Amino acid sequence: MECQEEKPIIYTMENKPIVTCAGDQGLFMSLYTSLAQQLPREPMEWRRTYGRAPKMIHLEANFVQFKEELLPKEGNKALLTFPFLHIYWTDCCDTEVYKTSVKEDMLRWQNSLRLHGSADWVIIVVETNDTKKKNKTNILPRASIVDKIRSDFCNKQNDRCVVLSDPLKDSTRSQESWNSLLLKLRTLLLMSFTKNLGRFEDDMRTLREKRTQPGWSFCEYFMVQEELAFVFEMLQQFEDALVQYDELDALFTQYVLNFGAGDTANWLGSFCAPVRSWNGLLLRRPIDMEKRDGIQRGEASLLDLRSYLFSRQCTLLIFLLRPWEVTQRALELLHNCVQELRLLEVSVLEGSLDCWVFLSCLEVLHRIEGCCDQAQLAANCSHTVGLWAYATDKLKSLGELCGLVSEKGPTSEDLNRTVDLLAGLGDERPETVHSLQSPYKKLKEALSSVEAFERHYLELSHAAMEMYRAIGRLRSARLVGKSLAEFYMRKGDPERAESFLQEALKSYVSEGWSLPVTHTRKQIAECQKLLSRTEDYLQTSALLAGDLNLTSEERKHFCQEILTFAAKAGEDSHKVTLSMAVFAQLTRLQFHPATASVHSGADLRVVLTLRCLMPLSVRIQQVAASIHFDVDRGGTRGRSKGAQRPTNPGTVEFTHSSSSAGPPSSSSVGPSLELDEIHDRSPSDNTLNSAGVVCKNTHLLLRRHDSNTPPDTPNCVSPPAVAMKEGAQMLKVQDVTLEPGNNNVIFTAPSEQPGTYTLRQLCATVGQVQFVLPHIYPSVQYEVYSQEPQLTVEPLSEPLLAGLPQKVKFTLLTGHYTVKKGVALQLSNTDTMPILPSTSCTAHIRDPAAELVGESVLSIQSSEKVTSISLPPTPPYHTLEFQLEVLCIIPSGSDRPANERLTNGEVRHRPRSYSHPDTPMTAIDQRMSIDCPWSIYSTLLALTFYIPFKTKHSLLSAGNRKYIQVCVQNVSDVNFMLAEVKLTEKQHPSLELLSLNTKTQQPLCSKHSVFCLWEVRWKDDLPSCLQCVFSATFSPLNQDISAFKPFHYQFNLERVTTLYSVRAEILPPAGEQHCRSGFLCGLEVSVTRLSEPAEGELAEETDTDGLKTTKLMYEVADSSSNWAVCGKSSGIVSMPLRANATHKVQIEVMPLFAGHLPFPKIKVLKYLPHTAAVAIQPDPDSCVENDSLSLLDKTLDDQADTASIRSRGSVHSVGSGDQQQKGVAMPRLEAFSPGQVFNNSHARQVLVLPATDDHIVEVNAT
Amino acid sequence: MADEAPFQLLHYELLQYIYKAADGGDAEQGRNVTKLESMGFRVGQGLLERLTKDTARFKDELDVMKFICKDFWTCVFKKQIDNLRTNHQGIYVLQDNAFRLLAQLSAGKQYLELSPKYLAFTCGLVRGALCGLGVKSIVTAEVSVMPACKFQVMIQKM
Amino acid sequence: MAVCIAVIAKENYPLYIRSVPTQNELKFHYTVHTSLDVVEEKISAVGKSLGDQRELYLGLLYPTEDYKVYGYVTNSKVKFVIVVDSSNTSLRDNEIRSMFRKLHNSFTDVMCNPFHNPGDPIQSKAFDGIVSGMMTQTG
Repeated sequence: MECQEEKPIIYTMENKPIVTCAGDQGLFMSLYTSLAQQLPREPMEWRRTYGRAPKMIHLEANFVQFKEELLPKEGNKALLTFPFLHIYWTDCCDTEVYKTSVKEDMLRWQNSLRLHGSADWVIIVVETNDTKKKNKTNILPRASIVDKIRSDFCNKQNDRCVVLSDPLKDSTRSQESWNSLLLKLRTLLLMSFTKNLGRFEDDMRTLREKRTQPGWSFCEYFMVQEELAFVFEMLQQFEDALVQYDELDALFTQYVLNFGAGDTANWLGSFCAPVRSWNGLLLRRPIDMEKRDGIQRGEASLLDLRSYLFSRQCTLLIFLLRPWEVTQRALELLHNCVQELRLLEVSVLEGSLDCWVFLSCLEVLHRIEGCCDQAQLAANCSHTVGLWAYATDKLKSLGELCGLVSEKGPTSEDLNRTVDLLAGLGDERPETVHSLQSPYKKLKEALSSVEAFERHYLELSHAAMEMYRAIGRLRSARLVGKSLAEFYMRKGDPERAESFLQEALKSYVSEGWSLPVTHTRKQIAECQKLLSRTEDYLQTSALLAGDLNLTSEERKHFCQEILTFAAKAGEDSHKVTLSMAVFAQLTRLQFHPATASVHSGADLRVVLTLRCLMPLSVRIQQVAASIHFDVDRGGTRGRSKGAQRPTNPGTVEFTHSSSSAGPPSSSSVGPSLELDEIHDRSPSDNTLNSAGVVCKNTHLLLRRHDSNTPPDTPNCVSPPAVAMKEGAQMLKVQDVTLEPGNNNVIFTAPSEQPGTYTLRQLCATVGQVQFVLPHIYPSVQYEVYSQEPQLTVEPLSEPLLAGLPQKVKFTLLTGHYTVKKGVALQLSNTDTMPILPSTSCTAHIRDPAAELVGESVLSIQSSEKVTSISLPPTPPYHTLEFQLEVLCIIPSGSDRPANERLTNGEVRHRPRSYSHPDTPMTAIDQRMSIDCPWSIYSTLLALTFYIPFKTKHSLLSAGNRKYIQVCVQNVSDVNFMLAEVKLTEKQHPSLELLSLNTKTQQPLCSKHSVFCLWEVRWKDDLPSCLQCVFSATFSPLNQDISAFKPFHYQFNLERVTTLYSVRAEILPPAGEQHCRSGFLCGLEVSVTRLSEPAEGELAEETDTDGLKTTKLMYEVADSSSNWAVCGKSSGIVSMPLRANATHKVQIEVMPLFAGHLPFPKIKVLKYLPHTAAVAIQPDPDSCVENDSLSLLDKTLDDQADTASIRSRGSVHSVGSGDQQQKGVAMPRLEAFSPGQVFNNSHARQVLVLPATDDHIVEVNAT
Repeated sequence: MADEAPFQLLHYELLQYIYKAADGGDAEQGRNVTKLESMGFRVGQGLLERLTKDTARFKDELDVMKFICKDFWTCVFKKQIDNLRTNHQGIYVLQDNAFRLLAQLSAGKQYLELSPKYLAFTCGLVRGALCGLGVKSIVTAEVSVMPACKFQVMIQKM
Repeated sequence: MAVCIAVIAKENYPLYIRSVPTQNELKFHYTVHTSLDVVEEKISAVGKSLGDQRELYLGLLYPTEDYKVYGYVTNSKVKFVIVVDSSNTSLRDNEIRSMFRKLHNSFTDVMCNPFHNPGDPIQSKAFDGIVSGMMTQTG
């Protein structure tokens, strides 16, 4: 009962609903403890109004002695002081006592309650046994007292009187009575709560509805609703309590907004008062009474109100174990307050808000650290980091405000400002006086001196950065880093600053944020300048000079920076080397000529297109491209390589990913995928199992690549280490002026040595500065080749025809050789192919581009051995062309000159003829050997001519008369006129060849033939061997007579004399004058020797009767199977060696058909018995043999030019036939040559009648 | 499905065109399918932006694949993928038992020879859509009996 | 009301960023770029924590004294960021949402424009129009 005397304080943490106790105090005191303990033990369900969820709550109570003044006066809304229940204690059991005293007391009590309209009361009657013992007189049953009380007070609500029976014993009975009592009390309390809170809330609402009325004050309302919050808190209903504050918060915010929107509430006036104190939030007390009073008195500033509100919310949130919500709300609150002050146009001392915010942040952080352990903090720094960062910002701006950041320290007015700010903080609050590290102390200290400030600022910044890093908010961390860097710059410490800036820059570059990149880069430039890191600075300025985000002035400035440095006379001689990429981009490179491949010494130009990124035009002392040279043998055939160049030859485009502004295009990343169709066939039968689409370059694609690559080298943070390799060959141009944008720089490439030249590096020199492109990619190369002079000859018309003048073209590629005046080609003449002297032969001179550059007439001198053609002077690598007319003499055959030496001393090549596969014409290869002045060897050239004709001859006989037929076949495609056909015999002048040809000229069209015929006349006797020459002239059709060229054909005829004549007769069967088919008839063959045996022909044999005879073999061969030969069809006859000796043979033959049947063929052959086998050397046939023999190996022989032609005339089929039989001793047969046997009955016919009614015969036959 | 007919017809014309054009030039093997695929890719990207405008954010890869099989497929082919399988290592197999673009050709092995070119475009569609969803992948296809068709998606881990 | 509107590509480079001419553009670039931290945080949170709402709208990324930064991410991992002046506190959440929806729709049209190459910065009159609409209209 300690606190019963003084007025209960308004708020303690262990505030409890008040319950008054009247009646027997002693009795109450005896029970107080157990009561106070037991009441909260059981939770009660609290059903609540306005559909709020029912709650189980543990009820506690603060029992105080009943006093009149405890009862609420009229209109007093206080809830905390409100007694929710009134109890009257008594243990009276004596009716007298009751009547005399107790009842009176109760009545008084009741009246006063009724007066204040509080209906929450209960009367407790305590019954103890020992009381009975006190006075035994007129004892009533206890019940009667209770009944009395009930009847007196509790009309129709008996539950208002409760009996507690001997509470101090512990008996089941007492327990039960206790429980029922407690239950009763709880129920009554709750009822009271519900009733009174309900009423209170209603009043509150009505009050809130009035808020539009004039005179309504937020502060009053605030107090009211807070009262409710208190009660909820008292009942441990922190949720509900918080709701009350949030509602107030929202309400106030709304007012401020409305104010902003124009309609002002007059009560807001107090909040619009200028801010005088800014000593941050105070969260260490459960409740900040002075602020609360301020609000109550309507004197609170906006900051006060906000601070107070927040402190309450904070407390409750912490009760609710939601510390992280505190931090979050705190941040919002701080931002919000700043906004609201602006909105309300509250005049604020500059920097004061920063102080307030700073202090508040730290206060909140302290509070949170106070209520959770390190682990939790670490895990949740994502919630706190915001406050850290905010505090950092504020401290920084404060520092700047108070001149603590500048190099030279604060000025006097800075100090004044500081003083004012500190004044606004007031004295440190008692709670924190003893804690070092209190926000208050921190701020004071930070503002006290430059060093202190720096220490605190760095501490905070690093803390913030650490946390950001820890939770992976790298960008935020870098941003803090940047402002730290700015701080360092102000402090004149660029060294530290740069590292932060570089880090930030890296991320901006890699993510392609051009503006931040530019800005940061500018700051870096500043650092580097201060640090006098010349190269880096120039590099950066170059980047900036090309940066389109900057104004042209800025760009010019940075460009100028470079130029001025460059212009500095090189007192320190070392040049500064920068990456070319920041200065100019190599966009394309062109070769002239486009093949990028020239002969040595030729002029090759290289045109570089440089896109200059500078805003000004820059004079460059020298642009140089270093070349790597290597001699490769391949280089000698330049053209082929030049042709390999992919797109338009000689031009290389260099692609650049767009400048620093450009984002890394997502599409450009990685190789593009290549698909292909597949058809999966079963191995067994080739049927298609499945078809589909597959990826050809999966391996490439699956390789991991980070999706955003830094767009471009210019962005790379520090300039790449570039160095110009000296020594190598260079392309150089002096004094170029690069205008902004594209410029063409033209080099003349060295092309002395043949080989491959690769452009490696590019370097532009501006005074002290060198811009170097370390690698030219894609690699660019050009080739220089050297070429030997080449002489070629090609026919103008295909094919070249032998025997006619033909034009051939001489082409001379001079290569590296210069044709000077008087240089001549020496052609060794060959009589098989003379060069026809032509009056005007002009040479054309063309340059490498095949442009005609000169013409001149050639002078051609011909001696009998050589033809020399003196060439016009021609520069190297030009082509010289001229035409000559040559004639290939058609070899007529016999002449076989021995191999003679040519003028140039090497073996003359016999033109060799052979039959060409793809043309019917016979081909002749003509070699011509030319001595060229540029080489000691003479050039050999081959031309192939074709003989337009095929010529055949044949010997015809009629008895003894002889005829020679020559057939000329035109196998070429040209039509000719053939004239002056002549046939001559060489050895026998007596022999006369009588031409039977009528026409002197006749056309010989392509693929046609002309036949000519001569009769051979002779005087005494016919020579057995004739050597004939057929000659004619010919020319292409319709040309004048002069154009006719001769054509010879030579052939031999052997054994032309007719030796035997054969005559056959067919004799019908006896009694018939006609033969009949199917009937035998006789064939009589008579062979007559016409001439005396020639001198060569020896008698083989002496007959039995001593006559010399020659053995002949006859054979009846019927090819057409008209005849059936009966009996032996062949036999041997021996002819006597005397003229006109005749031999007759009878043979039986049967015609198989009727009609005019040709006679059966009769062959006569020479029969040589084995004895004579070897002894026939001198035989004329054998010389044929030899001849054919020699022919055979001649045809194999290279030198045998005309053999094949001649052989066509004279080779015998048998010739080879009896080669095999040679040496084998056995009788042989030998054919006569065509002219030797004359068959009279050749091609005779005989009439054969059909057999008489042969069909009947057939019937009989069956 | 009248409303999908235009797409199918257009698609066939596209094939015609591509292959005709290639006949003239150097029709190196696979260039046509590649071309088709890349067209499909672009279309897939655009289409995806449209389709995902109102869908919730995707939880994970599987979630994305389901979207492809259901919403995306339905939008393009008026039906869903019939079966989705995965090895949980970034390989998914989408089986369509009646692939619309083949349905008109034949049922069975006839014309199997020609089928690949009818798949390329769709491979591109899927790859494009996935790429739009931030999933880099390679999509291939296989037919063994028309008009059933398997699309294999190979996710590129990055 | 919006003082800055930005579209950021999957790879975090800006596809489009525009701010009210009256204020320092650079500052907004920094702000938006930094906000990506939170965007990524929120995106990666998806799926991990249970009961996360997987809508495209990411809500308030972070407030600063002067600005509120809101985020939105499409399924194609393209981010939209809207920066609003803190002074107009009247702005309701759903208004922001609808702004984002508008942006998204317009963006989709841009993506479906055959002349637009995905990954390139947005140059579209229509889109510009939408954006300026949001920046001028007073909320």
